[in-house]
Amino acid sequence: MNNWVDFSKPQRQSLTGILVMFANGLQKSIRAFWPILIVYLIKFESLNKLLFFGSISGVLLLIAFFSYLQYWFFTFHIDNDANEFVIQKGVLNKSKITIQLHKIQQVNINQSLVQRLVGVYKLEIDTAGSDKKEASISAISHQLATLLKERLIHYSEINLPAKTETQPNAIVTRSFIKIGFTSNYVKSLALLFVFLTTTIENFTQFQTKIINEDKVTSYLESFPMITSVLMVVGFVFGMVLIVNLVRTIFKYFDFNIQKQQQSVILSYGLLATKSILLNPNKIQIIKITQNYFQKKLDVITIGVHQASSDAKRVKEKDKIEVPGCSQQESFEILKLLFSQMPKKGILYLPNWRKLALNSFFFLLFPIAVMLFLNYQSALVTWNEWYRYATIFSIFSGIIIWFSFKNYKLFVSDDFIIKQNGAWDVDTLIIEPFKIQTIKTQQFFWQKNTNMGSVTLATAGGNISFSTANYTEIKQLVNYWLYQVATSNKNWM
Amino acid sequence: MNEFSNNTIDLDTLPKFEELHLNALHSNYVKVLLFNFLLLVLLAIGGFTAIFFIEREVFSTKYWLLIFSAFVLFLVFVVIIAKLSFNKKGYAFRAHDAIYKSGLISETTTIVPFNRVQHVALHQGFIARKLGLASIELFTAGGSSSDLEIPGLLLEEAQKIKNMVSHKINPIAKTEEVEVTENYFPENLTAENNE
Repeated sequence: MNNWVDFSKPQRQSLTGILVMFANGLQKSIRAFWPILIVYLIKFESLNKLLFFGSISGVLLLIAFFSYLQYWFFTFHIDNDANEFVIQKGVLNKSKITIQLHKIQQVNINQSLVQRLVGVYKLEIDTAGSDKKEASISAISHQLATLLKERLIHYSEINLPAKTETQPNAIVTRSFIKIGFTSNYVKSLALLFVFLTTTIENFTQFQTKIINEDKVTSYLESFPMITSVLMVVGFVFGMVLIVNLVRTIFKYFDFNIQKQQQSVILSYGLLATKSILLNPNKIQIIKITQNYFQKKLDVITIGVHQASSDAKRVKEKDKIEVPGCSQQESFEILKLLFSQMPKKGILYLPNWRKLALNSFFFLLFPIAVMLFLNYQSALVTWNEWYRYATIFSIFSGIIIWFSFKNYKLFVSDDFIIKQNGAWDVDTLIIEPFKIQTIKTQQFFWQKNTNMGSVTLATAGGNISFSTANYTEIKQLVNYWLYQVATSNKNWM
Repeated sequence: MNEFSNNTIDLDTLPKFEELHLNALHSNYVKVLLFNFLLLVLLAIGGFTAIFFIEREVFSTKYWLLIFSAFVLFLVFVVIIAKLSFNKKGYAFRAHDAIYKSGLISETTTIVPFNRVQHVALHQGFIARKLGLASIELFTAGGSSSDLEIPGLLLEEAQKIKNMVSHKINPIAKTEEVEVTENYFPENLTAENNE
């Protein structure tokens, strides 16, 4: 029974952890050099085999050597005199991370695919306060990890006993398919675009032609114009859908929500299991997103914006998403996070001038510019111009109308809810006592019509409501200021 | 907490921030504003003067006159803008929050409740130091866009405000010595100009 480990002496990670570091190093190098690698593989026949395998094994040896050095120089221990946990690491750039034990809020033990294969775990330490440092030990045996966790938690005031109340698996794969088919088109399109352009660029650089452009062009030309355009569009759309689906499933496989005393734990992932501890106090903004298709299919995405550890900008890592839950499940999750169902309260709408302003900037102005350009240089015939202008007007008009129609603000005693968006309708929910700063804004030409805007800043992002009745806004601001001043709830 | 969620609040009886009398900034602050504006103008003037003496024939005499009059007009414009934007600026401290209003084209009022302030800083730029002025910045957790900076305060006044706010944030800690951070460059060249 080796149950007692002297943590006051510097400890190393487990020896097999070198493999994890090796895998990390390998992954990084592959990520950096993959376009070259692909080209080499395609031109494999014409390569000098000796040079090729020689350089590959050289790189591998180098990575292995560095992994060993990383392992050797990484030590951690508990300084009992200063009550600090100390991590020392770095081969060339030495760094020393010290964390005061009483500041430790949570110790997480995670496992990625590589770590699972090697049989080691990752221990992450979450600290309180804005001066958050990244402290993690990436390869540690399970026994040592649990011992260390106990020791660290034992010192800190916050104890999290193992009493876990498990909610049933909220999300099944079926709803992923729905989400995969109905969201993130733009993101996936961008990903696809970047992927294709880098690949094509690398191919042209090495003058390899695996796709015969002429063949493709002549194949497409054998169909009427409309058909070939539709084929290309259909192909891209299909690719986007597949990329979407695969991404969603890989990322959110086996989604699980648990409530553990005051905090909520989310865990998910197909290859790399991720577990996130959410402290409801740290949550600043909840964002609910749903578009028309998703409404019909009864799927909702809930985003959680936490107080950012970096005061200057909200980090991506502090934004967490729960994709594809049904209406009923979303109510349950909201209740879990807010401990009550957000009430919508009094409705505030923007002035019709917002519609007029948006129509001017996004409809009339572009059309005027196009008219001027065509008048100057006659790019297309006037018949064609009318056709394009009509299509643009209808499209733009629909978007402007819906984004105006969906622009709403609801205020109740405990919640401020803002809704906006033309296709993807976002609903942002904040609690008034989480407001940090209030800004009201009025342009000089808005004075006569008594219009104005308000921006509420929280530690997790801003919410603004513009072109509305300024008297009402000022009244609300006074009310929110009163709430912030009298509330003794902790905003974080 | 329950006290106010149970009672219905008459929104009209709440103290109104918009009816507050705002304190004007110190009159010397116009000079700081002017200096910041003029520095940009001076750079441009310097450039054209150099051209005037080195390669006069780049522009004809007519154009030189035009450029000269444009500069004069621009200078007058800058002085008027500085004066107007100074008149628009104002601040107030209430029991629970700090208010700062500014902006010519878009009038912006920023309000920071004291119980959300993370820390307070006192800044003094080069010109401001010569004129005995300082600015106070209240930092919140809402990111840089939600911080509040009040420029053009007398140093003495600024120190008092800093102590007052520090005391409100942390009533137990004794009022510490005020450290003055000095910027040796003219302050907020960009921030002031777009107003």
